[in-house]
Amino acid sequence: MTTALVEALSLSVMFGLRPVLTEVNLKLERGRAAVITGANGAGKSTLVHALCGLIGLSAGQARMFGQDIRRLRADDRRRVGVTLHRSMLYLNLTARENLEFYAKLNACQKPSEQAARWLERLGLGAVAEQRARDLSRGMEQRLALARAMIGEPELVLFDEPFASLDRQGAAVVGELIQELLARGGAALLTSHEPLTVKGAEPENYQLVSGRLLPAAAQPSRRTAWRWMLT
Amino acid sequence: MLTGFCALLHKDLTLERRGGRVVIELCVLSLLVLVVLVVAYGPETGGRPESAAGALWVALILSGLPGASLAVAAEHENDCLTGLRLSPLEPATIYAAKVAAVALSMAVSQAATLLLLVLFFNLQFDLNLLRLIPILLLGTLGLCALSTLLGTITSRLRAGEMLLALLTAPLYVPELIAGVKASAAVLSGASLAAVVLPLKILAACDLLFVVCGYLLFEYLAG
Ligand SMILES: Nc1ncnc2c1ncn2[C@@H]1O[C@H](COP(=O)(O)OP(=O)(O)OP(=O)(O)O)[C@@H](O)[C@H]1O
Ligand SMILES: [Mg+2]
Repeated sequence: MTTALVEALSLSVMFGLRPVLTEVNLKLERGRAAVITGANGAGKSTLVHALCGLIGLSAGQARMFGQDIRRLRADDRRRVGVTLHRSMLYLNLTARENLEFYAKLNACQKPSEQAARWLERLGLGAVAEQRARDLSRGMEQRLALARAMIGEPELVLFDEPFASLDRQGAAVVGELIQELLARGGAALLTSHEPLTVKGAEPENYQLVSGRLLPAAAQPSRRTAWRWMLT
Repeated sequence: MLTGFCALLHKDLTLERRGGRVVIELCVLSLLVLVVLVVAYGPETGGRPESAAGALWVALILSGLPGASLAVAAEHENDCLTGLRLSPLEPATIYAAKVAAVALSMAVSQAATLLLLVLFFNLQFDLNLLRLIPILLLGTLGLCALSTLLGTITSRLRAGEMLLALLTAPLYVPELIAGVKASAAVLSGASLAAVVLPLKILAACDLLFVVCGYLLFEYLAG
């Protein structure tokens, strides 16, 4: 039996009394990608936070590498790369210093070489010595992606990875995901519009009213009404 | 674990060197406090070791507490704390590195405070001043450990919950009493025996705060 890299089991999240995610079930195995679409405020970011163990669940379970997320070992946290809305970069450190710092946290062998390699890979060579504060929005997003990839993760959870990226940046991210899947990793992406991942057939899901539905069976307007009435 | 600790400390010190926020802010605060106290005491009471010890500790508190909140706030700026929580670091390591970074910036500002104290309160540069150093180090460690812990709690609170900050303030009291007593004794040239008890209390408080922070940080930062 292959263990799923990431798994949600009847996962529910409430903020106060308001349910944001209800009974979400999701399973992502090696070599697979999933794309979760949904309107603004649908709960995509909340799902990513919940899967990473950053927020408490009101019911259900989030698992990574077969372990409950709250008991994930430090060694296994190294196998996960995450980007969220905020870039988690230190604004007063330069792009290179940020990457070197995160490389060291991930116990990379040669932090400065790794940092240089990822800067180059995401086309940030020219701004390596600029402080993160001074980067353009798209550059910051590229750096955030480099930050997530620097530990060579097996599993990536990217919340809106293509936001503010130009075409070339988006192509690089597409390649990164493709490489990750090819070496047996898994990727979970969120987006507010349908995505295609080059060279992969992602599982498409849609978040509607806090429920995760297969996007193939997207409720047409009429069935959506029927679902709401029942 | 050690690489993580060193990386964090190095990062904090680089940021500090660049922004210089904490150290400069602390130095300015302690300078102002000393000026106020030396003027308020006047020449007679100002010459007494108790006054100098009191002034030193007032400067320490006023500079130590904002220092820790600044350091904790820096981690919230761009959700960097989330980045650390997602990393393989143990929460306890994050706490230890934060305390070390705050303590180092505080130690720098304390060196400045001590210098100003000697000038303002006409103290002698002698052995007594040297004997003050271990007391200050112990006091700094305790203040940093506690204020980093409390800063972590309060940084996540909304305004209405700030009462918690008020309720936790008494936790500083034993540390402060012991610190002031020990400093006054040392400055007035008392024998070592007179400082043993306050030193023990200081050390016990330090141990308590550090261990609590080490164990609790995981739940407070989450
Ligand atoms: N910390 C929080 N406290 C209370 N409510 C929250 C919190 N975080 C998110 N929410 C609410 O949960 C809902 C889902 O938010 P979420 O950020 O997951 O949406 P999203 O699908 O990522 O939207 P977007 O496309 O705009 O990024 C929103 O209605 C939001 O207001
Ligand atoms: Mg979102």
